[in-house]
Amino acid sequence: MDSFINQYGFLIVQMVLQAVLALSLYLPLMAGQLSLASPAFYAVGGYVAAVLSTQKFLPPAGTVFPEPVQSLVIWLATVFPGAQDGLYPAGLVVLEMLIAGLISGVLALMVGFPALRLRGIYLALATIAFVEIVRVLSLNLPVTGGAIGIFNIPQPFHTKFEYLWIAGPLILLSVWFVARLERTRVGRAFAALREDELAATAMGINPTYHKVLAFTLGAVLAGMVGVVSAHFLNTWNARQGTFDLGVLVLAYVVIGGARTFAGPVLGALLLTALPEVLRAVAGLPGLPTWLTEFLREGRLIIYGILIAVGTVFFPQGLLTPEIFTRRRRPPGIQDSGAGETAPTEVS
Amino acid sequence: MNLTAGFQIIVNGMATGGVYAIFALGYTLVFSILGIINFAHSAVFTLGAYFTYALLGSQFGFNGLLARGRLPFGLSFPLALLGGAILAGLVAVMVERLAFRPLRKRGADPLLMLVSSLGVAVAIVNIIQYLFGAEPYTFPNILGGLPGSVNLGTPGTPLVARTVQLLIAGVSLVILALLTVYINYTNTGKALRAVAEDATTASLLGINTDRLVLLTFFLSGFIGGIAGTLVGLSVGITGPYFGIAFGLKGLSVIILGGLGSIPGAVLGGIVIGIGENLVPAEHVGYKDAVAFALLFIVLLVRPQGLLGRTQIQKV
Amino acid sequence: MMKVSLRLRIAFLVLLAISLTSIPAVFAQDATEEAPPVELTGEPVRIGFAVAESGGSSLFGQEQVIGAEIARDYFNDHGGINGRPIELVFQDAASDEAGAINAFQTLISSDVVGIVGPTLSQQAFAADPLAEEAAVPVIGPSNTHPDIPGIGDFIARVSAPVTVVAPNAVDAALALNPDVETVAVFYAQNDAFATSETVVFQAYVEEQGLTLLPVQTFQTTDTDFTTQITNVLPSEPDLIIISGLAVDSGNLVRQLRELGFAGPIVGGNGLNSTNMFTVCQALCDGIILAQAYSPLAEGEINQALVEIYEEEQGRTPGQFTGQAFAAVQVFVEALRALDDEVGLDTLELADLRVQLNETLLGLTYEDTPLGTISFTEDGDIVQAAYFVAQIEMSEDGTEGSFVLLPSAEEEAE
Repeated sequence: MDSFINQYGFLIVQMVLQAVLALSLYLPLMAGQLSLASPAFYAVGGYVAAVLSTQKFLPPAGTVFPEPVQSLVIWLATVFPGAQDGLYPAGLVVLEMLIAGLISGVLALMVGFPALRLRGIYLALATIAFVEIVRVLSLNLPVTGGAIGIFNIPQPFHTKFEYLWIAGPLILLSVWFVARLERTRVGRAFAALREDELAATAMGINPTYHKVLAFTLGAVLAGMVGVVSAHFLNTWNARQGTFDLGVLVLAYVVIGGARTFAGPVLGALLLTALPEVLRAVAGLPGLPTWLTEFLREGRLIIYGILIAVGTVFFPQGLLTPEIFTRRRRPPGIQDSGAGETAPTEVS
Repeated sequence: MNLTAGFQIIVNGMATGGVYAIFALGYTLVFSILGIINFAHSAVFTLGAYFTYALLGSQFGFNGLLARGRLPFGLSFPLALLGGAILAGLVAVMVERLAFRPLRKRGADPLLMLVSSLGVAVAIVNIIQYLFGAEPYTFPNILGGLPGSVNLGTPGTPLVARTVQLLIAGVSLVILALLTVYINYTNTGKALRAVAEDATTASLLGINTDRLVLLTFFLSGFIGGIAGTLVGLSVGITGPYFGIAFGLKGLSVIILGGLGSIPGAVLGGIVIGIGENLVPAEHVGYKDAVAFALLFIVLLVRPQGLLGRTQIQKV
Repeated sequence: MMKVSLRLRIAFLVLLAISLTSIPAVFAQDATEEAPPVELTGEPVRIGFAVAESGGSSLFGQEQVIGAEIARDYFNDHGGINGRPIELVFQDAASDEAGAINAFQTLISSDVVGIVGPTLSQQAFAADPLAEEAAVPVIGPSNTHPDIPGIGDFIARVSAPVTVVAPNAVDAALALNPDVETVAVFYAQNDAFATSETVVFQAYVEEQGLTLLPVQTFQTTDTDFTTQITNVLPSEPDLIIISGLAVDSGNLVRQLRELGFAGPIVGGNGLNSTNMFTVCQALCDGIILAQAYSPLAEGEINQALVEIYEEEQGRTPGQFTGQAFAAVQVFVEALRALDDEVGLDTLELADLRVQLNETLLGLTYEDTPLGTISFTEDGDIVQAAYFVAQIEMSEDGTEGSFVLLPSAEEEAE
């Protein structure tokens, strides 16, 4: 077990982080908005973490902040375990997440209001443009470290697996939040917008408000994942959070199922694990040499074919809302926080 | 800025824009008829260049399964170009059968096709690397004795452009003209436009939609194959990711000109080309943002693009 | 109806998969079998090799894999690790950070004694700390960022950031073209090494009292350089200096020539690749380069490498191959020394890794493809010989070679 965690600890946390990222794309989709902007906010979040932790928060915490914030930084730096161990205080990571969430949220409002007047593929394209602009800026602005980016980002934990202390609560909270949201007035307004914007508007739902809200919530989540990822990868640069990541995350959502929050989570877990599963298969003893060779060199051929085939054979995604309602019907109880049960059904 | 420099920017912009335009022509064709974005177009573009290279009888690179092999025959360049384009067209047809048709038949959300075509693109790129290795390939010198560049100005105030880029811009215009004639003045073209307007009604009118969709993909791949080869002539085939590098910018080219508008793709390419050349030398790092900043602005101000139709989306 | 076509499709895909997977089987038949040398016995010593075999950097990764394979076969033919065979465990580090971490994690958890990799400096910043934490020695085959050896005690590299020799190439160009007065500098802004190398170039140009025209930047992913070129050519530069990577710089050179620049071109170390020849063909002729590795370097092992590589590939090896070979060689020689000293069998894996690291940092490697090398305490390479060479292309542009310039061989500090 230990060796399993040693080998796959990184992958497990990576899967969890990608799942949160998938939720960040799923949130606007709940309101019918196909946005591929998540990578941009993810990149911004990563830079927030990288800059703050390498330049601003380094213990002993400098005097760069005005007083109440400064006290908070020092308190966070001492109250959490780990600070004595030469590790970066996990509390500061949480603070970075809050800051990144805030920045991403504000940015999302600024981009969202004009962009969300667009529909369908046009919105997707506008968000792709936004992602590219952020990428070019991060390659050129002095604060982001140019091509090489920012490295030696301090570590709050000794092993990658321990990042679950942050990633675990993050995914549980986001799943809980999204699951709750689907049952609230706002969530139903999202669903109504997704089904038929015209009808929803006629029913008195404010489309702009709800779309921007969904978009912003997704952005906040993506920014927070960026923070964790920057620490988790030790380094951050302009090659993180690109268009490629955007379509990958879209693939998580589509293959997992775009009509229930459990779909994106499952899709992210599966697709993130897939290349590593193929790697492990290639390492199995007793396979013929040519097969090992092909698995080694052609891993991504299989990966690409599986994405295409998965989409074609499961156009609704692997998980549909019907799967859950069918199972849930016998007890006859619909509400009272039944949403939390969904993730366990997934696994 | 003096006048010569200004003209040079326009010449450069046309030269750069011609490359974007020729890439985007096949891309926009599928969108105009079917309303879907085919992410695999970049990969087909790349394949077209490799096919032509192979048909010339040139030796494959040093890595990959086919390392140092070559076809037992070699075609002349025009034939190889044609053959490469046909093969690329056939690959595009395969892409349609595998990644698009099953979804189209079920009336699935177009965003699914985005993902399935992406999967195909990943597979194709990696198959290329598996077969041909990751190294760059260069076509033998086809232009023969032609000079590398042409002076469009006077000897005193030179306005230089690379011959091969002028060729590309010219071919883009020829393809544009042929496509326009084909779509507007032939029966098949009219049927294509009917499908573009409303596929269901078109099939009720007795138009064989499936065949026309296949034809669209074939044409798109065919043009993509020609484009890949010509751009390959200009800058070499830079590896399996050759076309992918143009994919994202191609996307903004077709939006800028108007999604689905074929002349719009050429116009969009040239606008972006000139826009990129207007970036001052000391800020050239921001050049790649120009296409996307323009895209963002155009989407907000005029969502149908420069030459697009006003209707954005059917409810 | 739907069912049938579904089955058909599955059948088609299965067939496709089978046919794809069977391609190598067909080809494997005529591949030359490597007969394992008879004298090697015992459990193989495993060395991890994690470079970019997929993604945008696989051009470099595939050169590195070839270098490593040649090194493995060469040293197995020459006695292995005192009679035990060497085995390389390849893991694809892809071209991104997560890929490098996954590959390193897999290798760290396996029984490899050390790891060669990853390809990019950015990946090294992500993956090397894991090896440091797990006390597994790492040798970077191509990481040139100044801070790489500083990641930790277990991180070393054989890829010198050869900015020190950059001025030598300029000297060589000035010796051949004494009338040079104005110089234009181009560099790839998104490449870490190019951005540091260009600073050295620019400072040296100004030190020589030459006029430096406004610096032009590009991206390694660019293919069209007309903007930058037409910016610079009207100022009539006498010399152009380029810091970039092989494919982009190849295109830049080609377009410079096509747009009418006839003067001398000096290239940084990133241009030291035979892949340049493919891109600019006959127009590559005459480029003067700084090299950390030269296929022309004397030395028994380098000549053996060149001979095997030429036989397999039909061209001369480049820097990525030479450095990857050297990285494997460092492990091999250190393992031999450690075996002589304490015996590899007597050590548990964890101890073996720690002692291997100490041993390899302390040795001097007399004859590697990079000449004589050793390491600083930090793990940075100390390389005795660098080179300045000029590219010579055949008339039709299909064959190219490097020619060492007379004043070239320079003792670095």
